Amino acid sequence: MKDRNYTHAIQIDTNKCIGCSHCMQVCPTQAIRIIDGHADIMPERCVDCGECYRVCPMRAICVKDDGLSFVSDDAYRIALVPSVFIGQFPSKHTASEIMDAVKQIGFDEVFEVEQAVDFIKKIYDTIADEADFSLRPIIGSFCPAIVRLIQVHYHSLTEQILQIKAPLDIAAFYLLKSKAKENINPDNIQIYYITPCAAKIVAAKAPVGEKVSPIYATINMKEVFNLVSKTLIEKKDSKLSKQFANMSPDSVKWSISGTEKQYFRGRSLAIDGMDNVVEFLDRLESGRITGVDFLEMRACDQGCAGGILCPGNRFLTVERLEQREKKLESLAETEESVRNDLMDYAEEIQKTFRVDPVYPRDGLQLDDNLEIALQKMERIKKLNTYLPGFDCGACGAPTCRSLAEDIVKKKATISHCVFVQRVMEKNYNLSPEQAFLTIEKIWGKDRLKKYQHLNGKTES
Amino acid sequence: MQFEFDIQGGDFSSAGKASSDIKKVLKQLNIDPKIVRRIAVALYEAEVNVVAHAYKGVMKVDLDAQKIKIVLEDEGPGIENIEKAMQEGFSTATDEVRQMGFGAGMGLPNIKRNTDEMLLTSVPDQGTRLEFMVRF
Repeated sequence: MKDRNYTHAIQIDTNKCIGCSHCMQVCPTQAIRIIDGHADIMPERCVDCGECYRVCPMRAICVKDDGLSFVSDDAYRIALVPSVFIGQFPSKHTASEIMDAVKQIGFDEVFEVEQAVDFIKKIYDTIADEADFSLRPIIGSFCPAIVRLIQVHYHSLTEQILQIKAPLDIAAFYLLKSKAKENINPDNIQIYYITPCAAKIVAAKAPVGEKVSPIYATINMKEVFNLVSKTLIEKKDSKLSKQFANMSPDSVKWSISGTEKQYFRGRSLAIDGMDNVVEFLDRLESGRITGVDFLEMRACDQGCAGGILCPGNRFLTVERLEQREKKLESLAETEESVRNDLMDYAEEIQKTFRVDPVYPRDGLQLDDNLEIALQKMERIKKLNTYLPGFDCGACGAPTCRSLAEDIVKKKATISHCVFVQRVMEKNYNLSPEQAFLTIEKIWGKDRLKKYQHLNGKTES
Repeated sequence: MQFEFDIQGGDFSSAGKASSDIKKVLKQLNIDPKIVRRIAVALYEAEVNVVAHAYKGVMKVDLDAQKIKIVLEDEGPGIENIEKAMQEGFSTATDEVRQMGFGAGMGLPNIKRNTDEMLLTSVPDQGTRLEFMVRF
């Protein structure tokens, strides 16, 4: 079975994009090409990790969220806030103040996603022994960019992905259940998720392993950050603070690197950062990793603290979350307990926390037919020996190998390579005009305009 | 389609390069992921065997629409008792090699387990020839 849902949150604003190719060079799945002077994303390969977003000098890569558009007034609006959001602010603002400021944007209720982590910790203990998970290591499904990376690049590892809901979905499920008890019509509830990244938007819009997501809309964390910052600056005197610990203290650190792995019995590793994950999965796929039971993986360095939509510094965010952990610890000690309302629904959540298996995607495949795919591969191999192997990117593809692939897929020609082009011109296989047109096709018409005055003479 | 890789004995840091390259090719061909993985595992184990035991070797890969055939020929000490070498847990790896996490004596049995056909021949003090095949 194959997964062919290619919904994405990462998009390119062609009005702003100058086709500089920074994004193309960093894309870990080689999903970007430069065509007509703009970056172009191959939907079947993109995993919404957002590495391109980080490097774009023109801010031409945008993350398509649903935004803060409150249409109907009678809806009961709940904001799901991930702990990293609280970590964006200096510790002089208490978590309660920050949550209250989020509420003031226009929500009826705010809820911290990580409360759902307490449930997940509980099931990790039993899951570790289940026969269904005999294939080791089990790969945590927390980070949606990692799940998609495996779907595109590591087909044989899809079976090892842990089939459970993310904390965000468990939190949403709990909210719908508990509000029903308060006689709030579930159809009237709108759950907004304040997202630290693009991948979580896609997870909410087109969930893997689930039919529909309970999330009504996603909002870019930067937008909420701006609104909350304003409120916090204006209201200096409010000293709201928590009276009790509403979740176990280290749950606040679940989304960053290194906490989740501690809850899986056996040998477990925490790997963060796209390059590190890719290197590790490569080894794992070749059977080079043995005796490991669990992999906690995050696409971003420092986990969600390094999310592309987090306005703050990732290291300060991590430190802030560590401080919150300590604060919750002292609250839990004085109260001698943790009072997490979500855990009252543990039995009900238990019935629905599993999701369907994850299936591979065709992002890399040359052809459905093996015979034809082989012929294409043979051509790629041959073309590759002609190309210079510098991976200069001047052809509009990230590597010589990917240009060879594009040629075979009829998306480019050998004359896209500037080195081959020179030789073709010298041998009169290609006129200078044709070569010029080829360059324009890749880098856009305007790109060459400023050189028009050169006119045969070069200035010294 | 054919591929050829040189493998240097003792170069543990590069071990896995050939199998990784082949794996990349297989992933683009619409071959059952489980089979790709079996091949990847066998290739890596075979590569490591040359690195761990031989002076140098060559890996030749022959790929068509039905199967993949791999031949590794190395110059090295060879294997004295092939039957013994095929036993799980048997290894002649030096302490040095074992300290690097290799030489658990699972390599050859692992290749056998993951392939459809396997043929191992060796001339002591000259070298070893390993041939295996996986059908798609």
